[in-house]
Amino acid sequence: MKKNKNGALEFSFAWIFAIIAGLFIIFLAIYGVTKFIGLENAAGNAESAKDIGVLMNPLESSFEALKRTMMTTPVETRIYTTCSNNSLFGEQTIRTSQKVYNKWSDEGVDVAFQNKYIFSKDPVDGKNFYLFSESFEVPFKVADLIYLTSASDKYCFLNSPNDVEQEIKALKGSIISPNENFFLFTNSVDCPDGSIKVCFKRGVRNCPIEVYTQSNFVVKDGKTMYYQGNALMYAAIFSNKEDYECQLDRLMGRAEELYKIYVEKSKFVFMKTGCDSGMGADLILLSNVMKNFQNSNDLSQIYSMSSDINTQNGNSECRLW
Amino acid sequence: MVNKINNYIIRKKAQMKIQQMSFMIIAVFLFLAMVGMMVITVKMADLKNSATALEEQNAMLLVTKLANSPEFSCGDTFGTARTDCIDEDKLMALKANIDKYSNFWGVTSIQIIRIYPPKANPLIRDVECTSTNYPKCNIIKLMSSSSTSFDKSNYVALCRKERYQDQFVNRCEIARLVVGYKKVQ
Repeated sequence: MKKNKNGALEFSFAWIFAIIAGLFIIFLAIYGVTKFIGLENAAGNAESAKDIGVLMNPLESSFEALKRTMMTTPVETRIYTTCSNNSLFGEQTIRTSQKVYNKWSDEGVDVAFQNKYIFSKDPVDGKNFYLFSESFEVPFKVADLIYLTSASDKYCFLNSPNDVEQEIKALKGSIISPNENFFLFTNSVDCPDGSIKVCFKRGVRNCPIEVYTQSNFVVKDGKTMYYQGNALMYAAIFSNKEDYECQLDRLMGRAEELYKIYVEKSKFVFMKTGCDSGMGADLILLSNVMKNFQNSNDLSQIYSMSSDINTQNGNSECRLW
Repeated sequence: MVNKINNYIIRKKAQMKIQQMSFMIIAVFLFLAMVGMMVITVKMADLKNSATALEEQNAMLLVTKLANSPEFSCGDTFGTARTDCIDEDKLMALKANIDKYSNFWGVTSIQIIRIYPPKANPLIRDVECTSTNYPKCNIIKLMSSSSTSFDKSNYVALCRKERYQDQFVNRCEIARLVVGYKKVQ
Protein backbone atom coordinates (compact mmCIF):
# COMPACT_ATOMS: atom_id res chain seq x y z
CA MET A 1 0.00 0.00 0.00
CA LYS A 2 1.50 3.30 -1.01
CA LYS A 3 0.57 6.82 -2.14
CA ASN A 4 0.89 7.67 -5.84
CA LYS A 5 2.16 10.92 -7.33
CA ASN A 6 -1.24 12.60 -6.86
CA GLY A 7 -1.33 11.57 -3.18
CA ALA A 8 -4.09 8.98 -3.68
CA LEU A 9 -3.86 5.66 -1.81
CA GLU A 10 -2.81 2.83 -4.10
CA PHE A 11 -3.49 -0.83 -3.24
CA SER A 12 -1.32 -3.53 -4.69
CA PHE A 13 -3.02 -6.79 -5.81
CA ALA A 14 -1.47 -8.58 -2.79
CA TRP A 15 -3.29 -6.23 -0.38
CA ILE A 16 -6.61 -6.54 -2.15
CA PHE A 17 -6.26 -10.34 -2.16
CA ALA A 18 -5.31 -10.44 1.54
CA ILE A 19 -8.26 -8.22 2.51
CA ILE A 20 -10.81 -10.24 0.51
CA ALA A 21 -9.47 -13.59 1.76
CA GLY A 22 -9.27 -12.26 5.35
CA LEU A 23 -12.85 -11.00 5.21
CA PHE A 24 -13.98 -14.38 3.85
CA ILE A 25 -12.21 -16.24 6.67
CA ILE A 26 -13.59 -13.88 9.34
CA PHE A 27 -17.10 -14.18 7.89
CA LEU A 28 -16.85 -17.99 7.89
CA ALA A 29 -15.52 -18.01 11.45
CA ILE A 30 -18.32 -15.73 12.72
CA TYR A 31 -20.95 -17.78 10.86
CA GLY A 32 -19.50 -21.03 12.25
CA VAL A 33 -19.37 -19.75 15.83
CA THR A 34 -22.95 -18.40 15.63
CA LYS A 35 -24.19 -21.72 14.28
CA PHE A 36 -22.22 -23.58 16.94
CA ILE A 37 -23.66 -21.46 19.77
CA GLY A 38 -27.16 -22.05 18.37
CA LEU A 39 -26.49 -25.78 18.23
CA GLU A 40 -25.15 -25.76 21.79
CA ASN A 41 -28.27 -23.93 23.00
CA ALA A 42 -30.53 -26.37 21.17
CA ALA A 43 -28.61 -29.34 22.60
CA GLY A 44 -28.80 -27.83 26.11
CA ASN A 45 -32.55 -27.22 25.74
CA ALA A 46 -33.13 -30.76 24.43
CA GLU A 47 -31.07 -32.19 27.29
CA SER A 48 -33.02 -30.26 29.91
CA ALA A 49 -36.35 -31.29 28.32
CA LYS A 50 -35.32 -34.97 28.43
CA ASP A 51 -34.01 -34.47 31.97
CA ILE A 52 -37.36 -33.03 33.11
CA GLY A 53 -39.18 -36.00 31.55
CA VAL A 54 -36.85 -38.54 33.14
CA LEU A 55 -37.09 -36.83 36.53
CA MET A 56 -40.85 -37.26 36.35
CA ASN A 57 -40.46 -41.07 36.41
CA PRO A 58 -40.54 -41.30 40.22
CA LEU A 59 -43.79 -39.33 40.23
CA GLU A 60 -45.46 -42.04 38.20
CA SER A 61 -46.54 -45.39 39.54
CA SER A 62 -46.09 -43.95 42.97
CA PHE A 63 -47.97 -45.05 46.01
CA GLU A 64 -47.14 -41.76 47.66
CA ALA A 65 -49.99 -39.53 46.61
CA LEU A 66 -50.41 -35.93 47.73
CA LYS A 67 -46.74 -35.16 47.94
CA ARG A 68 -45.32 -32.20 46.13
CA THR A 69 -41.78 -32.08 44.78
CA MET A 70 -39.87 -28.96 43.90
CA MET A 71 -37.75 -28.89 40.77
CA THR A 72 -35.20 -26.10 40.51
CA THR A 73 -33.46 -25.21 37.24
CA PRO A 74 -30.02 -23.51 37.10
CA VAL A 75 -31.35 -20.63 35.00
CA GLU A 76 -34.82 -19.29 34.39
CA THR A 77 -36.52 -21.83 32.15
CA ARG A 78 -39.64 -21.87 30.05
CA ILE A 79 -41.24 -25.32 29.72
CA TYR A 80 -43.54 -25.99 26.79
CA THR A 81 -45.75 -29.06 27.08
CA THR A 82 -47.69 -30.29 24.08
CA CYS A 83 -50.10 -33.18 23.73
CA SER A 84 -50.69 -35.10 20.54
CA ASN A 85 -53.14 -37.95 20.13
CA ASN A 86 -52.32 -39.11 16.60
CA SER A 87 -51.01 -42.55 17.56
CA LEU A 88 -52.40 -45.34 19.79
CA PHE A 89 -51.05 -43.91 23.07
CA GLY A 90 -50.42 -40.40 21.77
CA GLU A 91 -47.42 -38.40 22.91
CA GLN A 92 -46.52 -35.90 25.55
CA THR A 93 -43.82 -33.62 24.24
CA ILE A 94 -41.65 -31.36 26.33
CA ARG A 95 -39.38 -28.62 25.05
CA THR A 96 -37.58 -25.90 26.91
CA SER A 97 -36.12 -22.49 26.38
CA GLN A 98 -33.71 -20.79 28.75
CA LYS A 99 -33.20 -17.17 29.62
CA VAL A 100 -29.74 -16.07 28.50
CA TYR A 101 -28.71 -12.42 28.96
CA ASN A 102 -32.32 -11.48 29.73
CA LYS A 103 -33.53 -12.97 26.44
CA TRP A 104 -35.32 -16.27 25.88
CA SER A 105 -33.29 -18.62 23.72
CA ASP A 106 -34.90 -20.44 20.78
CA GLU A 107 -37.08 -23.37 21.83
CA GLY A 108 -35.22 -26.67 21.82
CA VAL A 109 -36.33 -29.78 19.98
CA ASP A 110 -39.41 -31.71 21.11
CA VAL A 111 -38.66 -34.62 23.43
CA ALA A 112 -41.55 -37.09 23.28
CA PHE A 113 -42.85 -39.50 25.92
CA GLN A 114 -45.72 -41.94 25.38
CA ASN A 115 -46.21 -42.78 29.05
CA LYS A 116 -46.50 -39.29 30.53
CA TYR A 117 -49.50 -37.03 31.06
CA ILE A 118 -48.55 -33.50 32.13
CA PHE A 119 -51.11 -30.85 32.98
CA SER A 120 -49.76 -27.33 33.15
CA LYS A 121 -50.00 -23.83 31.78
CA ASP A 122 -48.36 -23.73 28.36
CA PRO A 123 -45.70 -22.41 28.52
CA VAL A 124 -44.89 -22.36 32.22
CA ASP A 125 -41.81 -20.42 33.21
CA GLY A 126 -39.66 -19.77 36.23
CA LYS A 127 -36.71 -21.15 38.17
CA ASN A 128 -38.66 -23.18 40.72
CA PHE A 129 -41.40 -25.57 39.69
CA TYR A 130 -43.76 -27.67 41.78
CA LEU A 131 -44.74 -31.17 40.67
CA PHE A 132 -47.32 -33.49 42.11
CA SER A 133 -49.32 -36.43 40.83
CA GLU A 134 -52.63 -38.19 41.31
CA SER A 135 -53.74 -41.45 39.81
CA PHE A 136 -56.47 -41.67 37.20
CA GLU A 137 -58.71 -44.72 37.60
CA VAL A 138 -61.53 -46.22 35.47
CA PRO A 139 -61.89 -48.20 37.83
CA PHE A 140 -58.35 -49.65 37.88
CA LYS A 141 -55.40 -47.32 37.72
CA VAL A 142 -54.67 -46.18 34.17
CA ALA A 143 -51.91 -43.62 34.78
CA ASP A 144 -50.55 -41.03 37.14
CA LEU A 145 -51.43 -37.52 36.08
CA ILE A 146 -48.60 -35.06 36.63
CA TYR A 147 -49.36 -31.46 37.52
CA LEU A 148 -46.65 -28.90 36.85
CA THR A 149 -46.87 -25.36 38.21
CA SER A 150 -44.33 -22.59 38.49
CA ALA A 151 -43.64 -21.14 41.94
CA SER A 152 -44.14 -17.71 40.37
CA ASP A 153 -47.74 -18.57 39.35
CA LYS A 154 -49.79 -18.20 42.53
CA TYR A 155 -53.09 -20.08 42.71
CA CYS A 156 -55.69 -18.86 45.17
CA PHE A 157 -58.31 -21.53 45.94
CA LEU A 158 -61.47 -19.77 47.16
CA ASN A 159 -64.15 -21.57 49.21
CA SER A 160 -62.81 -25.00 48.25
CA PRO A 161 -64.79 -28.00 49.50
CA ASN A 162 -63.43 -29.93 52.46
CA ASP A 163 -61.78 -32.77 50.50
CA VAL A 164 -59.97 -30.34 48.16
CA GLU A 165 -58.91 -28.19 51.12
CA GLN A 166 -57.44 -31.23 52.90
CA GLU A 167 -55.58 -32.28 49.73
CA ILE A 168 -54.13 -28.79 49.15
CA LYS A 169 -53.10 -28.59 52.81
CA ALA A 170 -51.40 -31.99 52.50
CA LEU A 171 -49.59 -30.83 49.35
CA LYS A 172 -48.43 -27.61 51.01
CA GLY A 173 -47.07 -29.52 53.98
CA SER A 174 -46.49 -28.12 57.44
CA ILE A 175 -43.49 -25.92 56.58
CA ILE A 176 -44.37 -22.61 54.93
CA SER A 177 -42.09 -22.07 51.96
CA PRO A 178 -41.28 -18.59 50.57
CA ASN A 179 -41.96 -20.13 47.13
CA GLU A 180 -45.45 -21.30 48.11
CA ASN A 181 -47.88 -20.95 45.23
CA PHE A 182 -51.07 -22.55 46.60
CA PHE A 183 -53.29 -20.45 48.88
CA LEU A 184 -56.59 -21.32 50.53
CA PHE A 185 -58.97 -18.51 51.38
CA THR A 186 -62.68 -17.84 51.70
CA ASN A 187 -62.53 -14.20 50.65
CA SER A 188 -60.98 -13.04 47.37
CA VAL A 189 -59.51 -9.87 48.95
CA ASP A 190 -57.12 -12.09 50.94
CA CYS A 191 -55.61 -13.58 47.75
CA PRO A 192 -52.03 -12.46 46.96
CA ASP A 193 -51.69 -9.78 44.29
CA GLY A 194 -51.56 -11.19 40.77
CA SER A 195 -52.69 -14.63 41.88
CA ILE A 196 -54.94 -16.80 39.72
CA LYS A 197 -58.27 -17.24 41.49
CA VAL A 198 -59.85 -20.70 41.49
CA CYS A 199 -63.43 -20.23 42.66
CA PHE A 200 -65.59 -23.02 44.01
CA LYS A 201 -68.49 -20.70 44.79
CA ARG A 202 -70.47 -18.56 42.37
CA GLY A 203 -70.57 -14.78 42.57
CA VAL A 204 -66.85 -13.99 42.84
CA ARG A 205 -65.88 -11.24 40.41
CA ASN A 206 -62.91 -11.56 38.04
CA CYS A 207 -62.58 -15.26 38.51
CA PRO A 208 -60.71 -16.89 35.59
CA ILE A 209 -61.26 -20.45 36.84
CA GLU A 210 -64.65 -21.55 38.17
CA VAL A 211 -65.19 -25.06 39.53
CA TYR A 212 -68.72 -26.46 39.72
CA THR A 213 -68.37 -29.43 42.06
CA GLN A 214 -72.07 -30.38 41.97
CA SER A 215 -72.18 -30.65 38.17
CA ASN A 216 -68.54 -31.77 37.80
CA PHE A 217 -67.23 -29.17 35.40
CA VAL A 218 -64.63 -26.41 35.31
CA VAL A 219 -64.99 -23.19 33.33
CA LYS A 220 -61.65 -21.70 32.33
CA ASP A 221 -61.22 -18.86 29.84
CA GLY A 222 -64.92 -19.25 29.03
CA LYS A 223 -64.47 -22.90 28.02
CA THR A 224 -66.10 -25.82 29.82
CA MET A 225 -64.21 -28.97 30.80
CA TYR A 226 -66.09 -31.87 32.40
CA TYR A 227 -64.40 -34.02 35.01
CA GLN A 228 -64.93 -36.97 37.35
CA GLY A 229 -62.84 -37.21 40.50
CA ASN A 230 -60.32 -34.77 41.93
CA ALA A 231 -57.46 -35.99 39.68
CA LEU A 232 -59.26 -34.69 36.59
CA MET A 233 -60.51 -31.60 38.41
CA TYR A 234 -56.88 -30.50 39.06
CA ALA A 235 -56.05 -31.41 35.45
CA ALA A 236 -58.77 -29.04 34.21
CA ILE A 237 -57.66 -26.29 36.62
CA PHE A 238 -53.98 -26.33 35.60
CA SER A 239 -54.19 -26.95 31.85
CA ASN A 240 -56.18 -25.50 28.98
CA LYS A 241 -59.23 -26.97 27.22
CA GLU A 242 -57.31 -28.26 24.14
CA ASP A 243 -54.59 -30.01 26.16
CA TYR A 244 -57.12 -31.38 28.68
CA GLU A 245 -59.29 -32.98 25.99
CA CYS A 246 -56.23 -34.31 24.15
CA GLN A 247 -54.77 -35.87 27.33
CA LEU A 248 -58.16 -37.40 28.18
CA ASP A 249 -58.25 -38.96 24.73
CA ARG A 250 -54.76 -40.42 25.28
CA LEU A 251 -55.79 -41.72 28.70
CA MET A 252 -58.84 -43.42 27.21
CA GLY A 253 -56.59 -45.01 24.58
CA ARG A 254 -54.43 -46.48 27.33
CA ALA A 255 -57.51 -47.56 29.30
CA GLU A 256 -58.86 -49.30 26.17
CA GLU A 257 -55.63 -51.31 25.84
CA LEU A 258 -55.69 -52.15 29.56
CA TYR A 259 -59.28 -53.41 29.19
CA LYS A 260 -58.07 -55.63 26.32
CA ILE A 261 -55.27 -56.94 28.55
CA TYR A 262 -57.83 -57.76 31.27
CA VAL A 263 -59.99 -59.58 28.68
CA GLU A 264 -56.93 -61.69 27.76
CA LYS A 265 -56.07 -62.21 31.42
CA SER A 266 -59.61 -63.30 32.20
CA LYS A 267 -59.45 -65.95 29.43
CA PHE A 268 -55.94 -66.99 30.43
CA VAL A 269 -56.78 -67.49 34.11
CA PHE A 270 -59.95 -69.39 33.19
CA MET A 271 -58.03 -71.73 30.88
CA LYS A 272 -55.28 -72.31 33.45
CA THR A 273 -57.27 -72.61 36.67
CA GLY A 274 -60.94 -72.82 35.66
CA CYS A 275 -61.66 -69.68 37.67
CA ASP A 276 -64.08 -67.47 35.74
CA SER A 277 -64.28 -63.79 36.60
CA GLY A 278 -67.58 -63.58 34.68
CA MET A 279 -66.72 -60.14 33.36
CA GLY A 280 -65.55 -60.96 29.82
CA ALA A 281 -68.52 -59.38 28.01
CA ASP A 282 -68.54 -56.27 30.20
CA LEU A 283 -64.81 -55.78 29.72
CA ILE A 284 -65.21 -55.89 25.93
CA LEU A 285 -68.13 -53.45 26.17
CA LEU A 286 -66.09 -50.97 28.23
CA SER A 287 -63.13 -51.36 25.91
CA ASN A 288 -65.42 -50.28 23.04
CA VAL A 289 -66.79 -47.38 25.08
CA MET A 290 -63.22 -46.17 25.62
CA LYS A 291 -62.52 -46.56 21.91
CA ASN A 292 -65.51 -44.37 21.01
CA PHE A 293 -64.59 -41.65 23.51
CA GLN A 294 -65.28 -38.22 22.01
CA ASN A 295 -64.75 -35.62 24.72
CA SER A 296 -64.99 -34.96 28.47
CA ASN A 297 -68.79 -34.92 28.15
CA ASP A 298 -68.64 -38.76 27.94
CA LEU A 299 -66.93 -39.09 31.32
CA SER A 300 -70.04 -39.45 33.47
CA GLN A 301 -71.24 -42.47 31.44
CA ILE A 302 -67.76 -44.07 31.56
CA TYR A 303 -67.51 -43.57 35.32
CA SER A 304 -70.95 -45.01 35.94
CA MET A 305 -70.13 -48.13 33.86
CA SER A 306 -66.68 -48.52 35.40
CA SER A 307 -68.16 -48.24 38.89
CA ASP A 308 -70.52 -51.16 38.08
CA ILE A 309 -67.73 -53.34 36.73
CA ASN A 310 -65.61 -52.53 39.79
CA THR A 311 -68.37 -53.89 42.03
CA GLN A 312 -68.43 -57.09 39.94
CA ASN A 313 -64.66 -57.41 40.22
CA GLY A 314 -64.78 -56.92 44.00
CA ASN A 315 -67.32 -59.73 44.34
CA SER A 316 -65.47 -62.10 42.00
CA GLU A 317 -63.50 -65.05 43.35
CA CYS A 318 -60.79 -64.33 40.79
CA ARG A 319 -60.32 -60.60 40.83
CA LEU A 320 -58.73 -59.18 37.72
CA TRP A 321 -57.42 -55.95 39.33
CA MET B 1 17.32 -3.98 -21.83
CA VAL B 2 18.26 -3.44 -18.14
CA ASN B 3 14.81 -1.94 -17.57
CA LYS B 4 13.17 -4.96 -19.12
CA ILE B 5 15.18 -7.31 -16.89
CA ASN B 6 14.36 -5.19 -13.80
CA ASN B 7 10.62 -5.26 -14.65
CA TYR B 8 10.78 -9.00 -15.15
CA ILE B 9 12.47 -9.48 -11.73
CA ILE B 10 9.90 -7.20 -10.02
CA ARG B 11 7.01 -9.10 -11.65
CA LYS B 12 8.50 -12.42 -10.58
CA LYS B 13 8.99 -11.13 -7.00
CA ALA B 14 5.35 -9.93 -6.88
CA GLN B 15 4.10 -13.29 -8.14
CA MET B 16 6.18 -15.05 -5.48
CA LYS B 17 4.71 -12.79 -2.78
CA ILE B 18 1.17 -13.52 -3.95
CA GLN B 19 1.89 -17.24 -3.99
CA GLN B 20 3.39 -17.02 -0.48
CA MET B 21 0.34 -15.18 0.77
CA SER B 22 -2.06 -17.64 -0.88
CA PHE B 23 -0.30 -20.57 0.73
CA MET B 24 -0.32 -18.78 4.08
CA ILE B 25 -4.05 -18.03 3.81
CA ILE B 26 -4.82 -21.63 2.83
CA ALA B 27 -2.68 -22.87 5.76
CA VAL B 28 -4.49 -20.55 8.22
CA PHE B 29 -7.86 -21.62 6.80
CA LEU B 30 -7.01 -25.31 7.07
CA PHE B 31 -5.70 -24.83 10.61
CA LEU B 32 -8.91 -23.09 11.69
CA ALA B 33 -11.02 -25.76 9.99
CA MET B 34 -9.10 -28.52 11.80
CA VAL B 35 -9.47 -26.78 15.16
CA GLY B 36 -13.19 -26.35 14.45
CA MET B 37 -13.58 -30.02 13.56
CA MET B 38 -11.75 -31.09 16.71
CA VAL B 39 -14.01 -28.92 18.86
CA ILE B 40 -17.11 -30.33 17.12
CA THR B 41 -15.87 -33.93 17.58
CA VAL B 42 -15.26 -33.38 21.31
CA LYS B 43 -18.63 -31.69 21.72
CA MET B 44 -20.43 -34.48 19.81
CA ALA B 45 -18.78 -37.10 22.03
CA ASP B 46 -19.91 -35.11 25.09
CA LEU B 47 -23.45 -34.94 23.71
CA LYS B 48 -23.55 -38.70 23.05
CA ASN B 49 -22.27 -39.36 26.58
CA SER B 50 -24.95 -37.10 28.07
CA ALA B 51 -27.62 -38.80 25.94
CA THR B 52 -26.44 -42.25 27.11
CA ALA B 53 -26.33 -40.99 30.73
CA LEU B 54 -29.93 -39.78 30.35
CA GLU B 55 -30.96 -43.18 28.92
CA GLU B 56 -29.26 -44.84 31.91
CA GLN B 57 -31.02 -42.50 34.35
CA ASN B 58 -34.34 -43.22 32.64
CA ALA B 59 -33.79 -47.00 32.89
CA MET B 60 -32.67 -46.70 36.53
CA LEU B 61 -35.68 -44.63 37.60
CA LEU B 62 -38.04 -46.72 35.48
CA VAL B 63 -36.93 -50.08 36.86
CA THR B 64 -37.75 -48.97 40.40
CA LYS B 65 -41.25 -47.91 39.41
CA LEU B 66 -42.21 -50.15 36.49
CA ALA B 67 -43.58 -52.92 38.68
CA ASN B 68 -46.17 -50.46 40.01
CA SER B 69 -47.34 -49.28 36.61
CA PRO B 70 -50.89 -50.36 35.57
CA GLU B 71 -49.67 -52.84 32.92
CA PHE B 72 -47.60 -54.78 35.49
CA SER B 73 -48.95 -54.16 38.99
CA CYS B 74 -50.88 -56.65 41.11
CA GLY B 75 -53.39 -54.02 42.26
CA ASP B 76 -55.83 -55.64 44.69
CA THR B 77 -55.88 -58.96 42.77
CA PHE B 78 -54.08 -60.85 45.52
CA GLY B 79 -55.80 -59.30 48.53
CA THR B 80 -54.48 -55.89 49.50
CA ALA B 81 -52.41 -53.52 47.36
CA ARG B 82 -48.70 -54.37 47.35
CA THR B 83 -45.73 -52.37 46.13
CA ASP B 84 -43.25 -53.87 43.64
CA CYS B 85 -45.60 -56.74 42.91
CA ILE B 86 -46.05 -57.97 39.34
CA ASP B 87 -49.20 -59.84 38.29
CA GLU B 88 -47.74 -62.75 36.29
CA ASP B 89 -51.07 -63.66 34.64
CA LYS B 90 -51.50 -60.06 33.47
CA LEU B 91 -47.91 -60.08 32.25
CA MET B 92 -48.64 -63.08 30.01
CA ALA B 93 -51.69 -61.23 28.62
CA LEU B 94 -49.50 -58.15 28.08
CA LYS B 95 -46.89 -60.30 26.29
CA ALA B 96 -49.55 -61.20 23.71
CA ASN B 97 -50.13 -57.47 23.00
CA ILE B 98 -46.59 -56.19 23.50
CA ASP B 99 -46.03 -54.99 19.92
CA LYS B 100 -48.28 -52.01 20.69
CA TYR B 101 -45.97 -51.00 23.55
CA SER B 102 -42.67 -51.00 21.63
CA ASN B 103 -41.92 -47.30 22.27
CA PHE B 104 -44.08 -46.85 25.33
CA TRP B 105 -41.48 -46.96 28.11
CA GLY B 106 -38.54 -45.65 26.09
CA VAL B 107 -36.32 -48.67 26.79
CA THR B 108 -35.05 -51.41 24.48
CA SER B 109 -35.79 -54.52 26.53
CA ILE B 110 -37.86 -55.65 29.51
CA GLN B 111 -37.62 -59.11 31.01
CA ILE B 112 -38.61 -60.77 34.25
CA ILE B 113 -36.44 -63.59 35.55
CA ARG B 114 -37.84 -65.87 38.26
CA ILE B 115 -35.08 -66.38 40.85
CA TYR B 116 -36.88 -68.00 43.76
CA PRO B 117 -37.73 -70.84 44.02
CA PRO B 118 -34.50 -71.64 42.16
CA LYS B 119 -34.26 -74.04 39.23
CA ALA B 120 -33.90 -77.70 40.27
CA ASN B 121 -30.61 -77.87 38.43
CA PRO B 122 -28.68 -74.61 37.98
CA LEU B 123 -27.03 -76.05 34.86
CA ILE B 124 -30.37 -76.29 33.04
CA ARG B 125 -30.84 -73.48 30.56
CA ASP B 126 -33.43 -70.72 31.23
CA VAL B 127 -36.83 -71.58 29.82
CA GLU B 128 -38.72 -68.72 28.21
CA CYS B 129 -42.41 -68.55 29.14
CA THR B 130 -45.00 -69.07 26.42
CA SER B 131 -48.76 -69.61 26.75
CA THR B 132 -48.15 -73.37 26.40
CA ASN B 133 -45.40 -73.92 29.00
CA TYR B 134 -46.50 -71.27 31.53
CA PRO B 135 -45.89 -71.35 34.52
CA LYS B 136 -43.25 -74.09 34.11
CA CYS B 137 -40.69 -71.61 32.89
CA ASN B 138 -38.43 -69.02 34.48
CA ILE B 139 -38.01 -66.09 32.12
CA ILE B 140 -40.63 -63.80 30.61
CA LYS B 141 -39.21 -61.77 27.74
CA LEU B 142 -41.63 -58.92 27.22
CA MET B 143 -39.43 -56.91 24.91
CA SER B 144 -36.01 -57.83 23.63
CA SER B 145 -33.65 -56.10 21.25
CA SER B 146 -30.18 -56.78 19.92
CA SER B 147 -29.37 -53.08 20.35
CA THR B 148 -29.49 -53.36 24.16
CA SER B 149 -26.10 -52.31 25.52
CA PHE B 150 -26.67 -52.01 29.27
CA ASP B 151 -29.32 -52.97 31.79
CA LYS B 152 -30.63 -52.09 35.23
CA SER B 153 -32.54 -54.46 37.48
CA ASN B 154 -34.72 -54.55 40.57
CA TYR B 155 -36.16 -57.30 42.75
CA VAL B 156 -39.94 -57.79 42.62
CA ALA B 157 -42.63 -60.17 43.81
CA LEU B 158 -44.19 -62.23 41.00
CA CYS B 159 -47.71 -63.39 41.85
CA ARG B 160 -50.25 -65.55 40.03
CA LYS B 161 -53.51 -67.45 40.63
CA GLU B 162 -53.28 -71.21 40.93
CA ARG B 163 -55.64 -74.05 41.58
CA TYR B 164 -54.72 -76.13 44.61
CA GLN B 165 -56.97 -78.96 45.86
CA ASP B 166 -60.11 -77.46 44.30
CA GLN B 167 -59.32 -74.05 45.69
CA PHE B 168 -57.98 -70.92 44.03
CA VAL B 169 -54.84 -69.74 45.75
CA ASN B 170 -52.38 -66.89 45.28
CA ARG B 171 -48.79 -67.94 44.65
CA CYS B 172 -46.01 -65.38 44.95
CA GLU B 173 -42.36 -65.88 44.06
CA ILE B 174 -39.28 -63.67 43.82
CA ALA B 175 -38.09 -62.34 40.48
CA ARG B 176 -35.69 -59.83 38.98
CA LEU B 177 -37.08 -57.18 36.66
CA VAL B 178 -34.43 -56.25 34.08
CA VAL B 179 -34.72 -53.13 31.92
CA GLY B 180 -32.26 -52.66 29.04
CA TYR B 181 -31.23 -49.50 27.25
CA LYS B 182 -28.91 -48.75 24.37
CA LYS B 183 -25.79 -46.67 24.09
CA VAL B 184 -26.36 -43.61 21.92
CA GLN B 185 -24.11 -43.99 18.84
